[in-house]
Amino acid sequence: MKRAVAISLKIPDNTAYTALVALRRLGVAVARVERSDVYFFEDGADRTALAARVAADEAIFNPNKHRLAVLDRGAPRRGEVWIEPLIASKGAPAAVAWRLLDEAGAPVERSVLAAAVERLLCNPAIDRAVTEGTR
Amino acid sequence: MSARIAVPVFPGTNSEDETVRLLRDCGGDAELVHWSEPDALRQFDAYVLSGGFAYEDRIRAGAVAAHDRMMDLVIAAADAGKLVFGICNGAQILLEAGLVPGTGPARRPTAAFAKNAPSAHFICRHVHLRLALEPGRCAITAALPSGALIPAWAAHAEGRLAATPQRLEEIVSGGHVAFVYAHADGTVDSEAVPNGSALGCAGLVNRDGNVLAIMPHPERDAWNFNHLDLIEGDDVLAPSGGSAVFRSFVQALA
Repeated sequence: MKRAVAISLKIPDNTAYTALVALRRLGVAVARVERSDVYFFEDGADRTALAARVAADEAIFNPNKHRLAVLDRGAPRRGEVWIEPLIASKGAPAAVAWRLLDEAGAPVERSVLAAAVERLLCNPAIDRAVTEGTR
Repeated sequence: MSARIAVPVFPGTNSEDETVRLLRDCGGDAELVHWSEPDALRQFDAYVLSGGFAYEDRIRAGAVAAHDRMMDLVIAAADAGKLVFGICNGAQILLEAGLVPGTGPARRPTAAFAKNAPSAHFICRHVHLRLALEPGRCAITAALPSGALIPAWAAHAEGRLAATPQRLEEIVSGGHVAFVYAHADGTVDSEAVPNGSALGCAGLVNRDGNVLAIMPHPERDAWNFNHLDLIEGDDVLAPSGGSAVFRSFVQALA
């Protein structure tokens, strides 16, 4: 069973903060940006076993700086975009997930997310942007 | 009064000093401008974006710098016809800013210098670039001979020109390929391309010929002391092949 795992930083994520600052400068109304690397695994039937196996993979997971989540979904949530490289690199994440939140901590509107994707988060020459309902 | 050349420094730029030094050696009046004083860029007549890792390559190489306040002014200057030359990370910034190839709106990239292929690893290799334009097509290369062969160092993990087939066709039909990778004898084939770059491309120029973006570093093969095979008695400070691009750039400002 194919299942997605998201690995994010539990230490401050400077890249997410830089994205937040850059998006605000571009006039995109966002209050918080969260970022994670998404990997897909074919043998994900046993969630606990999958989580243990990924947590033991020192190439992608360091328990001192990362947290991981085995996802129930194989696609982005509301307010989230997955940026997938058009040409995958061996060992690299299948996507980078960006979740944008507003002042109330709620996922941003679809139009706000689209603006962030178009202006900063995706270069269509090398990436594709996948949002809720577009896969 | 000679034309003034700015070398903008973003957080993470790391090739600015040799870039300024070479510009000065070639007769240019060059100086650094840091990100904390972007308005100072208005005083300059031309711009050279040097290599490094602006904003740590966060999001994508060049993506954040392309939206920096300094780039507002560089884009305005380019639109006004001033010369803009980007090397390595500077080239990545120019693509992310949409200045080259310049076939879409500003800050809407239509191409990228993407992760190398087939291996995505960083490469550090001596290479040769062959001028693929008639020299007059680009003001920055106007003083180079047709088919000029320029030695340089490729030092990047993201140097592969990538774009959709339609955009690559626009790059070809619009005459945007400025330099291609070549062997030392000037011949061109896929073996000379170190990073899987589409079209064997090492550099792109915009439509108006005033913005040039190249991935390898000619400023790292600009003096004899850059050569490992230096022979005792050689003048270590004498210019070597990579300086030709910079001399041409400075001559274009005369």
